[in-house]
Amino acid sequence: MNLILKKDDLNHQLNAWRQDYEVYAPQSLQNYTHFLPLQDGFELAFDVKAHNTRIPPKALFLPTSEALLKFTRFGGYEQIPSETSPRLIFGIRPCDAHAMTMLDTVFEQERYTDPHWQARRDATLLVGLGCHEPCQTGFCTTVGSGPFNHAGLDAILTDLGDIFLVETLTEKGEGLFSQLETATEEQSAQASVLQQAAAASMPIAFETEGLKEKLDQNFDNPYWEEISRSCLSCGVCTFLCPTCFCFDIVDEAQRGERVRNWDTCMFRTYSLEASGHNPRPSRVERTRQRLSHKYTYWVDQINQIGCTGCGRCVRYCPVGLDIRAMLRKAHQLPSEVAHV
Amino acid sequence: MPDLDALKAEAKRLLDEGVVEMIIGFKAGDTPLHPQPAFFKTVEEIDRLVYNALCQNNLATYLTRFPKTQKIGMLVRGCENRSVNALVIEGQHPRDGLYLIGVPCEGIIDWRKIIEKTGEEVISVFEQSDNTVLVEAKSGYFTLEKDTLLHESCARCIHPNPISADIVIGELLPEGDPTLAREQVAAFADLSLQERHAWFRQEAERCIRCYACREACPMCYCEECFVDHVSPRWTESGTTPAGMQGWHIVRAFHQTGRCTSCGACERACPMDIKMTYLTEKLNQDMRQKYNFEAGMDTKTPPPFSTITLDDKSRFIV
Repeated sequence: MNLILKKDDLNHQLNAWRQDYEVYAPQSLQNYTHFLPLQDGFELAFDVKAHNTRIPPKALFLPTSEALLKFTRFGGYEQIPSETSPRLIFGIRPCDAHAMTMLDTVFEQERYTDPHWQARRDATLLVGLGCHEPCQTGFCTTVGSGPFNHAGLDAILTDLGDIFLVETLTEKGEGLFSQLETATEEQSAQASVLQQAAAASMPIAFETEGLKEKLDQNFDNPYWEEISRSCLSCGVCTFLCPTCFCFDIVDEAQRGERVRNWDTCMFRTYSLEASGHNPRPSRVERTRQRLSHKYTYWVDQINQIGCTGCGRCVRYCPVGLDIRAMLRKAHQLPSEVAHV
Repeated sequence: MPDLDALKAEAKRLLDEGVVEMIIGFKAGDTPLHPQPAFFKTVEEIDRLVYNALCQNNLATYLTRFPKTQKIGMLVRGCENRSVNALVIEGQHPRDGLYLIGVPCEGIIDWRKIIEKTGEEVISVFEQSDNTVLVEAKSGYFTLEKDTLLHESCARCIHPNPISADIVIGELLPEGDPTLAREQVAAFADLSLQERHAWFRQEAERCIRCYACREACPMCYCEECFVDHVSPRWTESGTTPAGMQGWHIVRAFHQTGRCTSCGACERACPMDIKMTYLTEKLNQDMRQKYNFEAGMDTKTPPPFSTITLDDKSRFIV
């Protein structure tokens, strides 16, 4: 159902939600925006200038570090219970919400469900804000998402000037906005035009058809060396990526905690084995892993590209590497090489 | 701004005459704010060379990746030249295996300062001769004073000229005013202990431990960084306050007498964390107590890397 939320009433609405939820929304932190819990006197920061938050909201479900259990030196351990307090994330962009649904396939598998992830997901509603002026580094439409994609959202807002058009997408989402008046057909049509124009304004960044095959067939091509030559092998692209989820488990013996920390295939230590052998010894193999995971392995596993085109890796790479350019170049690779 | 044609001509000559096997420089990026480090091996490739104030990386960070027997050409600004010198002192590449094309540097633009004024959607950036920068953004055209866009490290730079390049292209610039760097350190030192701690905590707590600062730094070339060592583990893992503060303190201390104030660490940081206030303090201590600045020649090792028999601290020898 389509509803109307007046911008003048937004803060009132957010405060009303705060009675029942911890409400997270993009707010300024230094020079960037970050999903922080709303406090009294909050100031939102989700104008067009800001676009995506620097850290994707995956961090609210998979924190950079979290203790999983406590142990003592003399045996015995105690699991740390999962958080379950109700939360509402307001102003999440469709690319980031879409990414949550992909991460669900990792953390909520039938046999291996991550209790922390699941508890947080179950307790959290996602209210999205569509991108009527999509960002330049973003390429959501190229990879099967879009500036008004509904995946993962309970409701999505379209900015119509003085008002937001609210489309509720789930029962929970409907419950959130039950007080609002219904949108007119005109308003709905206006939003629809805007949404389509936004998607249409985004150029196709690279061809996805046949991409997986190209990458699969060129595992040993010098292409990988070429695209990784200036890579620093830092964790910027993967840590800021909404679909990257790798972690490392460490026992912090001094304080008796087993901790889960973000980890990344771009680090030398990621694939370093106890014997000292490293199957991905250089930036070449690590770059290949990063791209292949998103553009081939994930396609094999869930039949979706593991990237929602948020553009953070492009924007914040310290040496200006651009995954879009890398994938355009991949299309120039030879097709099926005959194996003798 | 350097004379790009002269740079290209020299780079082509070096490759053509076989003086070097490769030249490390920059090429145009895929996005307007980020030129990319590039490795040129043929004369034809040099046509893609670019050099402007948005080239934010310290190219010396790539030097340790190549065999010491390789003849390498590199474009160097003042700080990069000093980083190369510091690496030569530490035995990371022989000086006679290098050919440094020096460029006097007017300072690197911090792209974050551009988008603060124009919004994130930048279409093109053009440096104009009157020390202004014309930025075309989705939100309109902006003419910005270049001086207001410089990265802090560059705004207080003391040595903008390459000091030991094999050739310098462009007019030498006046040396920077060392009082600027001193003032910054003094301003921080004037704060109370509580205030300094609060500042440090506030900066460190945004860290996500991606180690972009480490990888961007030419002097961070250890095969195994102290944070990656697991048996025994030297620091807390993860983003606990102890983990993040431990990383930032020890990273800075490892730079004592080695940091050339290039600021590449801060420019690489995805979380805009200030770090140079720590290394600048150490740099100043080195100047005051040992009359030493890193990388000013290829002979003098950093004070903390030397041991002499008449050392005042008897525990060393």
